[in-house]
Amino acid sequence: MFQQTLAVARRLLLEQLRQRRGLIFWAVFPALMMLLFGLVYAHNATMRAGLDAAAAGILMGAALFFSCLGGTVALLAVERERGTLRRLLASPLRPAAYFMGVVLAQSLLAAVQVVMLVAIAYAVGARYHGSVTLGLFIVALAVLIYVGLGFFFGARFARRSEEVVVALSAIGVPLLVLGGTFFPLELMPAAMQKLAHLNPILYLNETLKAVAARGQGVAELRVELAGLVLFGAGSVGLGLWSWRLLLRAEQGA
Amino acid sequence: MTQLTFNGICKRYGGRVVLDDFCLDIQTGEVVGLLGPNGCGKSTVLNIVSQLLRADAGQVLLGGEPLSAACRARIGLCPQHSALYRDLLPAENLDFFARLHGLAGAERTRRVAELMEQFQLGPHAGTAVGKLSGGWQQRLSLAIALVHRPALLLLDEPTGAVDVQARHELWSLIEGLRASGVTLLLTTHQLAEAERLCSRVALLQSGRVAAAGTLPELLAQVPASAVAIIQTQDGAAARARAAGLGWGVRNWAGQLACLLPQPLSLGEVVASLDGLAVTSVSVQPVGLEHAYLEVMQATAV
Repeated sequence: MFQQTLAVARRLLLEQLRQRRGLIFWAVFPALMMLLFGLVYAHNATMRAGLDAAAAGILMGAALFFSCLGGTVALLAVERERGTLRRLLASPLRPAAYFMGVVLAQSLLAAVQVVMLVAIAYAVGARYHGSVTLGLFIVALAVLIYVGLGFFFGARFARRSEEVVVALSAIGVPLLVLGGTFFPLELMPAAMQKLAHLNPILYLNETLKAVAARGQGVAELRVELAGLVLFGAGSVGLGLWSWRLLLRAEQGA
Repeated sequence: MTQLTFNGICKRYGGRVVLDDFCLDIQTGEVVGLLGPNGCGKSTVLNIVSQLLRADAGQVLLGGEPLSAACRARIGLCPQHSALYRDLLPAENLDFFARLHGLAGAERTRRVAELMEQFQLGPHAGTAVGKLSGGWQQRLSLAIALVHRPALLLLDEPTGAVDVQARHELWSLIEGLRASGVTLLLTTHQLAEAERLCSRVALLQSGRVAAAGTLPELLAQVPASAVAIIQTQDGAAARARAAGLGWGVRNWAGQLACLLPQPLSLGEVVASLDGLAVTSVSVQPVGLEHAYLEVMQATAV
């Protein structure tokens, strides 16, 4: 199973390196977002204080969300559309090995994104105030949550590659808004705030901002971190369940 | 030794019966072709063997054992559409599937190199698969199906989407596999493909085996020494004349076909039809196409 996990991760990384559009998706877009936001924040003295938190929000919202969640939705659609999923089904590949292979590949891409975005953020004046280990732990949870949700949305709502953009626009962007990526939670109406509290992206955003911008640690954030671990476990479970349902549906096709 | 056995396989899609008591035995080293009209269940048979589908009833035995997940290691599937990773190179596609099948280290490297050579993929080693022609993609697809040295290879219309030259090249490769002793089960619409490659052919009609046998056995299903195909504006008169001459008369897909009990030359057939408004006549030796049409007509529901 471990060899199969490595094989899937290796294949996905090779494909990412070969696809120029994919490179824009996971590297150029978030780098540009970080640079542009950073320059705007750095240019306005009144906003400068928010730069550290904004950098954390861009990492969660613009980088990891689109590459891990969007990338997984697109991956499943392409595997189905090109018939490779049926070829995988005829091989001894275990469903869990495929899932873990995607998680592993996305984790490595996320590591590159973190290094790249942190470098840009530092260049435009942002600073990181908290524990690096805790920050990386939150990023790892984000990868698990996003990949799990990606399997769920990909299996349920994106049968063809043209449906990926629809699925991401219709479901992903509202999740980002409710996750406090564009507006702080305090600006939302009460009903919207209640809804936002069911959204794991809100906790990912708020927790990473608390660590990165305010230097808070495990003691202050234990409730949020516990919630994120539960969201992570739930998301992996949901993703694996959706993946198995998809494979069963393909076998009945 | 029997490699693959189908015992009374039934499969329905909703209310539509696709396989209905499908039975067939395939011996080790045989090349068996499944022929039949669209929707007769050919691909469904392959999908059940490769465990992409479950049969509703009946049993499939591989080497005498019921199909199980472990059987995947002994079966190679070459799907109808190439189903490849288009951004990867040919060797990277092979390497990926070799890894999934548990080939490790030097063994994997050696196997990938062997297949690159056997399928003459070397000149395209540096080309992304998505940029290869359909024929080269199908070649690679066939190589992937063999990466784990399966005992049974399933080919779903292996040359259905390639040009004539690529088809002949693929046929040569498949003949090479036949010589290596691998058991092959293939579906095809091309009678020439079945004639060239298969040691035995099963003709499917409405999800059942309507006839199965070697080429001579199937040709024996046509009670004729030769077949005359006649185009005429007066079909009734031509049929009556042919029947009067003791020829078998058939309507094969709208064509008047006469089964000649003795071999006759074209001139003799034309002379026999003297006085009829005949626009064309051809005399053909009995072939698989005739056997196919005869069996399909005889077993049509």
